[in-house]
Parts: sequence; C-alpha cells; structure tokens
Amino acid sequence: MTAAAPRYWNAYVAGVALGGTLLASYVLMGWGLGASGAYTHVAAHLEGAVAPGRAQANAYVAGYLEAGRLWAQWIVLEMTGVVLGALLGAWTAGRLSWRLDRGPRIGRGRRLLFAFVGGATVGFASRLAQGCTSGLALSGGAVLAPGAWAFLMAFMGGGFVMAWIVRRAWR
Amino acid sequence: MSWPLGLEGAGGLVAGLLLGVAFGFILERGGLGDPKKLTGLFYLQDFTMLKVMFTAIALAAAGIGVLALLGVMDLSQIAVQPTYLWPQIVGGLVLGAGFALGGY
Repeated sequence: MTAAAPRYWNAYVAGVALGGTLLASYVLMGWGLGASGAYTHVAAHLEGAVAPGRAQANAYVAGYLEAGRLWAQWIVLEMTGVVLGALLGAWTAGRLSWRLDRGPRIGRGRRLLFAFVGGATVGFASRLAQGCTSGLALSGGAVLAPGAWAFLMAFMGGGFVMAWIVRRAWR
Repeated sequence: MSWPLGLEGAGGLVAGLLLGVAFGFILERGGLGDPKKLTGLFYLQDFTMLKVMFTAIALAAAGIGVLALLGVMDLSQIAVQPTYLWPQIVGGLVLGAGFALGGY
C-alpha cells in the first residue's frame, strides 16, 4: 500500500512563491517570465531546418532565426527549466505517473483531439497578442502594462464562452 | 540604481534556467499542471488559477514599486509589454477559447 500523493500547496502560498520568482526575474534580468516565445523559437528553427528558403522569406520567422542558436535564447533555457522544474515537483510529491487528465464524460481520442486543436489555437493566439498567460498576462500584469490587462480580461471572456460550449469535455 | 542587474551571456542563461525550474516547480506544486483545476475556473468551481496568478502579480508589482521607491530599481530599464489593444483583445479571446478546449 502506497501513501497518497501530498495535496497541492495552498493557492496563496503558491502565489507568493510565484510572485517572488517573478520579482527575481525582473531584478536579475529586467524582464519577466514567459512561455510561448520558446515555442516560437523552436518552430522558427524547425521551419529553418525543413524549408530554409521559406523561413528566410518570412520576416517574422527570419527575425527569430537571426537571434542565433536555439540554446543561446534566454526564453528557450527558461522554458527548459519549467519542464525540469515541473518534473521535479511532480516526482518529489510522488505524483509522477503516465496518465491523461480528462473529464469523466470524454473519451481518450476526443480529449487528445481537443488538446491538439486547443494547443494550436493557443499557439496562434499567443503570436497575435505577442504573449500568453505567462509572458503577457502574468509578467505584463505585474508591470501594469495596459495591453496585459486587456488581454487578461479577454482571456477570461473567451475561456468562459468556450468552456460552456465544451462543458461535456470537463464536467 | 543598480537594479535590474541585466545579466548577459552565460550568467543570464543560467539565471533563466534556474528561474524556469522555480517557475515549473511552483506551478506543479500549486496544481496548475492539472487541466481540471485550470478549467475549473470557467465552471466557477476551482479558483486556484486566479488566486495564484493575482497573488503573484500583486506581490511582484508591489515589490518592483517598493524597490523603485527605495531607489534600487531603475524602472526605465524594466521591459514593459507594448500595447497593441485590438490584437491583444482578440488574441486574449482566442487564447482563452483554446485554453478551455485544450485544458492548458
């Protein structure tokens, strides 16, 4: 018999820890935490490897390639750390397992399809808004960037509408 | 006015890796790696994401403000996300929809 995995931290404890980390990022670097930018760097390098001519012809993608090697990009290292840190957190909490988190009324195939379409949608939207819930809402929120707060309000709106439409996927 | 340190080169990359490790560890321990907790907000059943996010924003904003008032932080050297109102509103709506669909 194994002991149950410890519960998650109190949300305010996690919030204080996250706020401290965000503040440390601003003190050390002069900018906050992010996520979607790392995916953009990886996507640009993939396109650069598979279709170099096409990548160079696109000013947006070419800009990312001009930044240099993938592993010399701050946000790529930071996002690598996020994966390692999350893995460490789950492992040391005894939560590390191979599973597919899903609602009680949705099948595995549909859950994966929704995850793929949702992920692609989030990726597209993060480029449109120049940031995601980390780099724009969280980090921009802390420096009171007007666009970050507009984004955050719109994020809630879009989330509530889609959540109602796909309520059978989660509840 | 010596902050932000503005780390460059290898030091900056190592700091990025370590900040990322802390970020990922805290998100996981806070339950924000769990799509049922994340989407729970949109069914008004789990407010973890709001509590964590707004506590972090408030603390970091207050910290930056206090450091600036004490004269240790130079606000002109802090990167503030530029405002593109409509792309950010539309992007937010679409990102929120994708988030509720995919769970992350």
